[in-house]
Order: sequence, then structure tokens, then C-alpha cells
Amino acid sequence: MKVSYFETGRYRVPDSVPGVWPMPSGVYDVEAGTDVYRGMVERITLAEQLGFDWVSLSEHHYSPRILTPSPPMAAAYLAARVHKIKIALLGPIVSHANPVRLAEELAMLDTMADGRLIVGLLRGTTNEALTYDLNPQESRERTDEGMELILKAWTEPQPFGWQGRHFKYRTVSVWPRPLQQPHPPTYALGTSREAGEFAARNRIGLGVSYGPFEVMGKATGYYRDQCALHGWEPTADQIIFRANIVLAETDAAAQRAMEAYPARAAFAMGTGVANALRELDTRNIAGEARPASVNRALPINFVGGPETVVEQIRRCRDLTGAGVVDLGFNTPGSSDPNALIAALELFGRKVLPRIRDI
Amino acid sequence: MAFQEHWVEADGFRIRAMSAGDGPPLVHLHGAGGLRINAAHELLARRFRVIAFEMPGFGAEENTRTRDMPELAATMAKAARALGLTNFNLMGTSFGAKVALNIAVRNAELVRALVLEAPAAIRPAGLRPPSGAPEAIARMIYAHPERMPPMPATDPARAARIAALTKRLRGLDREPDLEARMSGLTMPVLVVLGTRDTLIPPEMGRLYKDLIPGAHLIFVYDAGHAISAERPEAFVEVVADFLEREDAFVISRANTVLLP
Repeated sequence: MKVSYFETGRYRVPDSVPGVWPMPSGVYDVEAGTDVYRGMVERITLAEQLGFDWVSLSEHHYSPRILTPSPPMAAAYLAARVHKIKIALLGPIVSHANPVRLAEELAMLDTMADGRLIVGLLRGTTNEALTYDLNPQESRERTDEGMELILKAWTEPQPFGWQGRHFKYRTVSVWPRPLQQPHPPTYALGTSREAGEFAARNRIGLGVSYGPFEVMGKATGYYRDQCALHGWEPTADQIIFRANIVLAETDAAAQRAMEAYPARAAFAMGTGVANALRELDTRNIAGEARPASVNRALPINFVGGPETVVEQIRRCRDLTGAGVVDLGFNTPGSSDPNALIAALELFGRKVLPRIRDI
Repeated sequence: MAFQEHWVEADGFRIRAMSAGDGPPLVHLHGAGGLRINAAHELLARRFRVIAFEMPGFGAEENTRTRDMPELAATMAKAARALGLTNFNLMGTSFGAKVALNIAVRNAELVRALVLEAPAAIRPAGLRPPSGAPEAIARMIYAHPERMPPMPATDPARAARIAALTKRLRGLDREPDLEARMSGLTMPVLVVLGTRDTLIPPEMGRLYKDLIPGAHLIFVYDAGHAISAERPEAFVEVVADFLEREDAFVISRANTVLLP
């Protein structure tokens, strides 16, 4: 099993400030923000020393929860400061990107990072439809088309034009091309039938996240079936499972921490907007409809002391086939920034050496 | 825009054609499946005088005379001339694109601009023209057969006759002579490929770019081999823009003002 550390660039807002989305940017404190970026370097350096395989970044907007609205920008900053660990963008939101620009930036990054880039291409969480005014009913189609255009821009040696549904270009010919040829390891991120089919058809990986292992296993199973229809079999490394983890010295300590984990999203949208988005944003797991996740706190898939977490990771592998776990470390109830460092160190010391053969 | 059927005497053949529209002439040569007027023809006929020929042997009549692709190209050039066309836009689809290329390299003076839709002038080794039941053909030529109207049923004897004709005329997968002549083309050339084409993979577009100086390559997203049938608006938007503005079609003239 390979392990990825999900660096969220977490910014802590004082408890007195109500958590809403979008968060008023007037609340932002420049010094606290500067600390976030400094802390990212510190944590990633540590993750590299501890033997984590990847560090991952993702794209979110308009709140302090994840302070990397531009993952390529964050990746460029980090790639220059750590030298072994792979840098996984999980991922840029394709539905509201200019796909050609994204292909260019990712190719630049792969070159600057000496071929350490891993790319996940994402539709985006429901709230992100409001960022840059995206019609939520178009986001699925825009993502599929954008992903295909990115792959084409990386691999087509001659200038070409693109006559899409949502994107149209008469001239595309990206420089630089990625260092890793034909392109960096790439994943479609999502549990949907469309993501699984796209990944299978284009011989790329699949990344699923946050759901129970059995349910995510349906999505990865569907993906593997589709790959078989296209005449190939993905490796374990081509399936990523992203999840939250609460790790403590003992199971009891982890359970105590969980009592402080909120049931509701820390930054919630107003009821009217949230209800409308639930109507407009249709999601599915391997073709089975499921409601969009709006204003809900993300579940924690791995909870416990090292022993328990090792067993949970083994179960995850058995049920989803994932060969990479991408972990967001949570320290509920603790505002001490060192708590996260302690959890990372504990993982490196007591979990990492025991999951390599899973 | 109603297409009218008419007949042209040329090169000893009586050739069927479907025509509609006013404007600059645009001659279309169909693929190995024969002539079928689709939504793209209708859209093109709003801006061009579209003449879609049925090449000899691909309709009700048998063609035992034409021996090879250059001969077929010569016949179709004569058919255009018989309509009084001396300089026209020429569009070929799949097999028809190879005929169109043969006209362009031999009778360059006739061709104002050349459009090659999913061209089969260069073919992957071993490619066979689609055959079988209509549903099987639909799966081969469309990315999304479920979104398309059912293919018309074909008379097996006629289908076998046309398959034999195609086999006789289509030539080699790669034709050194034709490819050498392609480098001499001076008219504007547009190559259009569907990103989901499983017969002529979109990756083959780059060969035309390598061979024809200044050729333009356009991918139509989510279209199979029958691009103009499957995504007519996307196909016609780029083809018409290219025919009207030639090389300058790469410069966007879209108005992006949202709220003046």
C-alpha cells in the first residue's frame, strides 16, 4: 500500500466567527495566512522524511478549510522545497478550468518537479458550482470533455483544433509537454458511472473518496469491469482511496477525539442555496443515484490507534482494491497545531511500516 | 431546405445527385456506406449550394467499369464539370475523402478548398469497411448509436455488391504516390476527425498534417466515424467557417460581451 498525505493548508478561524460558505474574506488575517503556507512546507518536509509516498493537494474556494484555490500554484511552491516525495494534484477542478491552460500548467509542473507529478482530474464538490458561476447541471459534461481535451493536448504532436460541446479552440499546441511520457500518472476522480467509464476508456486511474469501503468498492468494481471491457486491467496503484483519519496512541483516545468531530460541515451554505443545489446537482455511484453532499461533514473512514488503523487499511484494500490511500489527518477538539504533526509522526512510526505489504 | 434529386451524364455514367441551397458551390462525396442526406447537409445548404453526388455503383445501378480510385476521381471531376462547376469547395467523407484527395492532387484547378471528414485515404492496417446488420454498423460508425435514429435496413445483395466495389476501388492502406502528391497541394485543406472514431482513429490526423503543408486538423469531441451525422452543428460550424474564411478561420470572431 502506498500512502499519500493530503495537505489541506488548513487555516483556523477563531471559534467566535460563524462558519459559513462563502466565508467573508474580510475575516482573513494575513499573518495567520502566511503561517498556513509556512506550515505546509514544514508538514510536507516531515511527511517526506517519514516515508510518505505522495503529498496531495486539492482545489477549493472561498473558505479557510482548504487554502489552495490554485493547486498548481501550491504544487509549484512545494515542488521546489521537497525533492523525493511525489506531488499529487487531487485535483484541479476541470469543470470550471480552461482545460488547455490546465494542460500547460500541469506539463510545466511535471517538468519543474522532475517528473514527480501525479494528476487527478475532478468535477468539483457541489458548492464549487458557485465559484466562477458554473451551472451545476453542466458540470459533469464539462468535466468529461475537459479531461479528454487535457489528455489530447498532452499527447497530440501536431497543432489541432477542438470542436467540443462546452469548449472550442481552433489552435492548440502545448509547450512544454510533460516530462513523464506520454503524460503523468492520471486519475479521473469520482465514484460516478461517467468517471469510471471515462477512466477505463482512456486507460487512466480512478480516485474515490470518503464513502464507506463497501460503497466505494462498487465504484472501483464498476471501473475494473469497464477496464476489462476495454481490454486492460488497472494496477493497484491506479486506484486511490481518499479519506479522513483520526489517529491516536490508543483506540480509546481516538474515540474521545471523535466526540468533538462536528456532524455538520464547518462552512455551510444557506438553506435556500443548499436546497436548490441538491435539486440541480445529480450524482451517482457506479450508476446508482445518490444525493449530492451539501453541508454535511465528511465522514472519517479511519479511526483508532495504530493497530486498528492498520486493520482498517487492510479492509479498505480488500473491499476497494485501492493501492494508494490518500489521508486527511484530523485532530478534532484540538486547536494545537502540533497535534497534526504528532499524528503524522505517529502514523510514520507505527502505521506506515506495517502497511507496506498490504 | 429540401434537397432535389437530379441526374448528371458524365464519363458514360448517369450519376445521381442531391442538391440544395444557394451560395458558393460545395461538392460532397459520400463514404462507402453510400449517399444519405443528413442534418449537416441541411445546415450547409443554408450557406452553400450543396451538391451531394452518388458515386457510380453506390446506388441502384451496378458499376463494373471503374477500375481504381484515380478513375473514380476522374469520373467525379467530370460530373462536377458537367454541372458547370469549374472551381468549387470539395468535401469528402471517409472513402469519399480519398476520392476527393485524388481529385485535388490531379485537378487542383477545380478545387477551391478541400474538407476531409474522417478520411480513409490513409487507413490503419487491416481496416475493413463496416458491414453486417444495421445495428452492428451503427455501433461501428457512431460513438452514441443509442442517440441516433435507426439505420435503414439494407438489401444484402446490394450491400455485398457495394462492399465488393469499395474493395476494388479503395486501393492500398497507404499509397506512396498519393502521399507524395499531397505535399504539393496548395488549396486550403481541413481534416476533421471524431475523438471516438474507432475506424479511422483520431491519431491519424497528424499524418495529414505531416503530409499536407498548412493543413488544419480539427477534432470533433465525442463523435464517432460518422461525424457529420452524429454532431452536425459542431461539424458544420467549423466546416462553414473554414470555407468562408479559409486560413483565417483560426481567428475567433465570437462576440463574448455578456452584458453590453
